[in-house]
Amino acid sequence: MSESTSTNTPKPSSSVKLVLLGEAAVGKSSLVLRFVNNDFQENKEPTIGAAFLTQKCSLPTRTIKFEIWDTAGQERFASLAPMYYRNAQAALVVYDVTKPSSLTKAKHWVAELQRQASPGIVIALVGNKLDLTNDGNDAAGETPAEAEGESAAADGDETAGETQEGQDVTPGDARKVPTREASAYAEEEGLLFFETSAKTGTNVVDVFTAIANAIPESSLKSGRAGGAGTGQTSLGSGRPAEDSRVNLGERGPATAKEGCAC
Amino acid sequence: MESLADTPWDVTISGTGLAQSLLALALSRSGKNVLHVDRNPYYGGPEAAFSLQEAEEWAAKVNEETGELPFENASISSESSADPAGQLAASRAYTLSLSPQLIYARSQLLPTLVSSKVYRQLEFQAVGSWWLYKPEADDSSRLYRVPGSREDVFADDVISMKSKRTLMRFLRHLGQAQQSGDLSEEVNLSLEEEGLAAPFPGYLATKFQVPAELHGPLLSLCLSQAPPQQTSAQYAVPRIKRHLSSIGVFGPGFGALSVKWGGGSEISQVGCRALAVGGGVYVLNTGVKSLEYPTEQEPSDEGRIQIQLTNDELVKSRFVVGSNWDLPAEARPSPECDKVARSISVVSSSLASLFPVAAEGGPVPVGAIVVFPGSSLGYADDSPPVYTLVHSSETGECPTGQSVIYSSVSIPGPEGQSMIETAMEKLLQSAADPNVKVLWSLRYTQLGRDGSHAADITFPSKNVICLPPASLDLAFDDSLIDTVKNAWELVMGDEAAAHEFMKFEDREDAYDEE
Repeated sequence: MSESTSTNTPKPSSSVKLVLLGEAAVGKSSLVLRFVNNDFQENKEPTIGAAFLTQKCSLPTRTIKFEIWDTAGQERFASLAPMYYRNAQAALVVYDVTKPSSLTKAKHWVAELQRQASPGIVIALVGNKLDLTNDGNDAAGETPAEAEGESAAADGDETAGETQEGQDVTPGDARKVPTREASAYAEEEGLLFFETSAKTGTNVVDVFTAIANAIPESSLKSGRAGGAGTGQTSLGSGRPAEDSRVNLGERGPATAKEGCAC
Repeated sequence: MESLADTPWDVTISGTGLAQSLLALALSRSGKNVLHVDRNPYYGGPEAAFSLQEAEEWAAKVNEETGELPFENASISSESSADPAGQLAASRAYTLSLSPQLIYARSQLLPTLVSSKVYRQLEFQAVGSWWLYKPEADDSSRLYRVPGSREDVFADDVISMKSKRTLMRFLRHLGQAQQSGDLSEEVNLSLEEEGLAAPFPGYLATKFQVPAELHGPLLSLCLSQAPPQQTSAQYAVPRIKRHLSSIGVFGPGFGALSVKWGGGSEISQVGCRALAVGGGVYVLNTGVKSLEYPTEQEPSDEGRIQIQLTNDELVKSRFVVGSNWDLPAEARPSPECDKVARSISVVSSSLASLFPVAAEGGPVPVGAIVVFPGSSLGYADDSPPVYTLVHSSETGECPTGQSVIYSSVSIPGPEGQSMIETAMEKLLQSAADPNVKVLWSLRYTQLGRDGSHAADITFPSKNVICLPPASLDLAFDDSLIDTVKNAWELVMGDEAAAHEFMKFEDREDAYDEE
């Protein structure tokens, strides 16, 4: 699941731009930090500083390099730029299982993505802070949605059906959003669905693996993967003549101040 | 959600046009508390880029709120066609730029975007050939590819040998001036002796015996929107030098760039994102309604200006920065503005012939410049040229098989629009198959600076920084970088010396090399 598992035979590698969305303080950045650094910080400040992270995800047949765009706090006043969604091949829409309003907000983000983002975008709905519920406390091996790809939402629903009963009324359980409610919505909208805990790590890697599996092969071959990020990955390599992209980083600083080139 | 009023803001930036967004970028590592608002629901201000639907909403707003935006008289027309091949695609398949600009390889913008590390979030593409429209005697017309480099001059089969010699002499002269040092200094020193104050065509004829047939092509390279006789050599010569010296900097055969997905709008968004990452707070759909200046009796807020936002929130900020159109009416001077007529048209042809690869191994250009001298369109000799900037679908601005034509002429209003219309007809006759259709057009008047006015910051009140109107130049105007630096220095005060302008390290964890 990380660099360490990479084998000697090089697999095809593709970049995937993934954007994070969700209400402030649902744990978007924490999920990413858990995925990228296997780390968790209590009382993390609103996102400042790291708004772009990368992490590789190794699948049996290929390697996916996630270019993860965090919101940089711009979601707080509904001021995200279209650039943020543009060319995103995957989106993580996060809510807090202890806060019903955050699921409402998540639904707004899903609608926004369906309006603004690329038509083929893979969207995962993620209920975070599972550690604050009874499910998170006991069932280490129990995952709300283990399936891969398109069937994840359906399977999540099934699992939910078994574990859901009486959840809302359990004393000491902070859960306010029943798994069933969110998974039913996810299924309706064709989203991947998971409940996670960035704090304990439950299901975090699974989310990204499921997304990696759900990205259609065709969209990886198009060469447009990742939008802004891909220019970087090919720094220093020659470009085919038919490509319209101009590599600024390579030649800009070196030649911009020198003499006439014509 | 925390209240904006709780933070003692150091700077409040109003508007997300290119100037403000570059300032946002400059302040992104300053540690200042920055509030960045825009009364529009979109980023980019006068440089914004729109889907078809957004453009329609924008046009309605321009006409309803005349005087509130640097635009006037917007109108949209679209043609419904029975032919499925020539249909408009969905609204979001388009990203149309209100202020398309090309960026010369020698522009100071590029090193700025590189040193501030944001260039990686942008995709740069080559802008290619310059074309000059020439009506022929037999009533046919053709587009003549302007030789944009010395290699092109040698290869050209239209220019006579004699003309080539004089042209090469002129180009050599420019090259020498270039090598001898700073361009502007050179120009100043030799202004008198070179006769640079004269109109450019006369300068070419008397000083270099360049024949009249080459005046048009040379004028087109300097992108002057003024009529030929009002384009001074002093204005034209450095711009032609810039053109020539930019060729080949980033690859063979081209010297200008544009940014994919809407040009200036993208740069604006990248600048704003950089500040957001650095802790700046962004609020769209919210402008500055009124300002209340601190009195000397109340030193409690360290002299902060009280700002009433359009959502009626009150915030306090030491500095307020915005363009004329982003500051409350009573707080701004009325700017002296030039006006141009502009149009954006989506056409049902890729216009592929306009985008040849200019040199072996060079990229496929995504943009072409087609220049129509006023006289070539049947207007008087002293009328200004119409410039069209043609963008292929590779820019991400329209679907494959279509292209976007941005036109501009320095006569605003119906007269300018009718010149543009004539130019569009000629362009499509010359470069497209006979079935080509204009699927959609947006026409408008834009207010700004034509480059002859100084681009100075003004101070309507203490600590209120009013940015000059945006440049109407078709190439990115480097004076904007100076303006932004000036505003940055004002905001940073003594700290400006300690921080370097737009020079940043990569942020931690970002962009690890493989």
